Amino acid sequence: MMRFIVQRAFWGVLVVMSVVTLVFFLIFVAGDPAVTILGPQARAEQIADFKAKKGLDRPVPEQFMSYLGLMPCIRKDSPKYLRADGARGYCGILQGDLGESYSHHESVANVIGYRLPRTLLLASLAVLFELVIGLTAGIIAALRRNRWSDTAIMFATFIGISLPTYVTGPIALLLFAFLLGWFPFGGYGVDPLDHVYHALLPALILAIAGAATYARVMRGELIETMRHDHVRTAKAKGMPMSQVVLKHAIRNALLPIATLIGLSLPFLVGGAIITEKIFAWPGLGLLTIESIESLDAPVIMAVVLMFGIAVQIGNLLADIAVAALDPRIRLD
Amino acid sequence: MRSTPKTERWRPARWLSVGIAVLAAAVLLGWVVTHFPKAPMGPRYVGAGHQSPQSGGTLVFSAGSNIHTLDPHFAYDTLSTAACRLLYDGLLDYDYDGNMIPSLAAELPTVSDAGRAFRFALRDGIKFHNGREITAHDISWSLHRLLSQATGSPGYPFYKSIVGAPAYHRGEAERIEGIRVIDEKTIAFQLDEADQTFLNALAMPFAYPLPKEHVEKLEAAEGADAVGRHPVGAGPFAFSRWERGVQVELHRFEDYWAPRARVERMVFLENISPDVASARFRNGDLDVIHRPSKVNRLFMRESKAWAPYRAEVPSPSVYAIGLNCELPPFDNVHVRRAVAFAIDRSKLERLNPGEVLAASQVLPPMLAPYDPELPTRQVFDLERAKEEMRLAGFPDGLSEPITLWVRGEGDVRGAQLFQQDLKEIGIEIDLKMVSFATYLKETGKPRVAQAAFTGWHQDFPDPSNFMDILFHSRSIHPVNSENRSFYRNPKLDAILDSARAEVDREKRLALYAEANAILADDAPWAFLSYAVDMFAWQPYVKGFRPHPVWLNEYRNIWLDLPRKRVSQVIYEEEAAP
Repeated sequence: MMRFIVQRAFWGVLVVMSVVTLVFFLIFVAGDPAVTILGPQARAEQIADFKAKKGLDRPVPEQFMSYLGLMPCIRKDSPKYLRADGARGYCGILQGDLGESYSHHESVANVIGYRLPRTLLLASLAVLFELVIGLTAGIIAALRRNRWSDTAIMFATFIGISLPTYVTGPIALLLFAFLLGWFPFGGYGVDPLDHVYHALLPALILAIAGAATYARVMRGELIETMRHDHVRTAKAKGMPMSQVVLKHAIRNALLPIATLIGLSLPFLVGGAIITEKIFAWPGLGLLTIESIESLDAPVIMAVVLMFGIAVQIGNLLADIAVAALDPRIRLD
Repeated sequence: MRSTPKTERWRPARWLSVGIAVLAAAVLLGWVVTHFPKAPMGPRYVGAGHQSPQSGGTLVFSAGSNIHTLDPHFAYDTLSTAACRLLYDGLLDYDYDGNMIPSLAAELPTVSDAGRAFRFALRDGIKFHNGREITAHDISWSLHRLLSQATGSPGYPFYKSIVGAPAYHRGEAERIEGIRVIDEKTIAFQLDEADQTFLNALAMPFAYPLPKEHVEKLEAAEGADAVGRHPVGAGPFAFSRWERGVQVELHRFEDYWAPRARVERMVFLENISPDVASARFRNGDLDVIHRPSKVNRLFMRESKAWAPYRAEVPSPSVYAIGLNCELPPFDNVHVRRAVAFAIDRSKLERLNPGEVLAASQVLPPMLAPYDPELPTRQVFDLERAKEEMRLAGFPDGLSEPITLWVRGEGDVRGAQLFQQDLKEIGIEIDLKMVSFATYLKETGKPRVAQAAFTGWHQDFPDPSNFMDILFHSRSIHPVNSENRSFYRNPKLDAILDSARAEVDREKRLALYAEANAILADDAPWAFLSYAVDMFAWQPYVKGFRPHPVWLNEYRNIWLDLPRKRVSQVIYEEEAAP
């Protein structure tokens, strides 16, 4: 088990590093961050000043090494550029410094710090809805296989998977927020309870596709498991049906669901870009879009880094969860 | 193996139940559609009916993206500027006709040394939000902060004409020689060369003063970006709190030097998309709206109920096709003129009803010396376009297609309109769609983009802000050129240089009128359109007027509260024929 985790962690770091490297250089292929940040009305002098301040006038490889923290700091606005003792400090990700956002006059850690809890709230609510709705529907469908309720649920999941959030989102807003007034019309609210209230509708919309997927997977798995010998044995022993399903069938059927949840972790962190946009939810998704549009390199890099790490951890957790749930699987 | 699985058998009962379910769903859907509640046709609330301005209430308004900072020395985007505009005051300001007026200064400055020296007397009783009286030292200290390279503000280029500013910026001088504090209430500026736009620069949010003691304490405790989080200014509203990416809350500053604001609180919502904002506004959740979504904009234009509560005003910006004067065929003035004559700008107005106004010159309509007679030079006139092509030596059109750089879908739609127009005079256009980032980088280099969609939004209301920066040969650089059509005209340069220095306003405007005509005639840009902004406000919001310079000028609003809900039936009757 330990060996497996160490091995995976090694590959994980390698993957994250390659992604970070790739994106760093892509930003400079896409355009000039200084020029894009300052916009179409920038004076040549402003651009030169900005480049000098952020170290963008240095060769790109040097910028990269400094960003990693393997070469001294080149950002003049960093307190580490010239330390009190006169030496050049380091200000890269290895030192835990994500830098200063180009467009927000603020450190990247702060910019993300404001947004991350909001995205986590929305995404965890969404996952909760996905699981509750999806698993319940899947179990009902499996147990009532080929009856009308099964057909209805499978039909509904088919629609749920097919409808994108940019269709369901505005319709839900129009109906439940604007015309019926049950939910607030987008936004984030002002106090904790209010945040949850504001998150309900977007989380529900966000959960539709996931819930539908979970329902279909759960149905298939449960039907499959119900045919297994151990379930048949349990039934033959005269165990009540509810006990058979709960104790023997569902636990086995949950395996692929655990994997799916693990794989959805990056989505938890990365934010649902489209849903956030529709519901004016000021989370990481909105920030990501805005940062890419304005080539706010430090923020893009931080998001990529976080995303990469989240994918790796999610995959690892999924594998561990499967091993823990399924005694047949050994991680070596 | 022999047995047929049960599921594959035809079972009429099951299909019947599915059929019934589908039918039921259809009926339900039909019911929902027919019983769908109607959107409000007019305002949901009206005022209490007070005739005189009332004090109190909260004004809620929104914007589509983030406020980036509340530090005026870094506020260089529309929203941050709009927020800083409520929090801070400067020496100079503009009235609703766009004229410069004194704000923290007691009166407009005395000018001497042939337009190179300015002396300001400060008003009495001007205070920062922390209660301290503002002195000339504060004005000077704030400008020093703004212009130091360590601060790294994008505002530097606007003030570099102050004597000693470049040396100070480079870190070669302790202080800026050209800024002198005469006494507590008097400050003087000395410029390297006569430049009347210096006053416009002083009216920009970059020059808004901050209290030194507050800034130094904060920066020591929380770092250089702290001022943007805890702003203290001298404006009509003081800072309450800022939930990042959600909203900025302000409260009225009771010790304001002018008659204090009437609204007690201001809530500036961020990241509200135009669709959400429009729906919230029609619902009565927003008090003022700026740029509603396209559908709502069309609705508001047609709605009688909203007619008294909306305004459409051109924004101080211009859009055009920039023609690279260094690259053939646009090095030939006749080809440029032919393009300017061949474009039917009314198509743009039809494509975006109410959102654009055909443009004929670089200056927007509200900025003197805009010339309504000038449109004889850049208007749709196919005969003159063909004549210009003949003069250029291309009577049968160009043999090679032109590459037009565009930045996205919006540009593409516009460009397709003109593809057709230019075909009429034998010019084929290939569209080159690039990302905004690539567009900015590449069009700033000489001899790269043959033609490009382009535009300008004023930094401050003076013709020089359009002409100097866009068309003076001084604005051409090997990279990041501001003059992206690479137009060089010594005569225009001379006119612009003397206009900048000219103290007499009438003479200045006459010079700029001349420059304006030259630009329309020489056509380094084929001018397309001005953007038109729509504002709408609730009936209980009083005293709002669109401002020619400040986009969201909500300082003088008062609210007629308590507001009363209106029955929507009224509007339905009104809408009926």
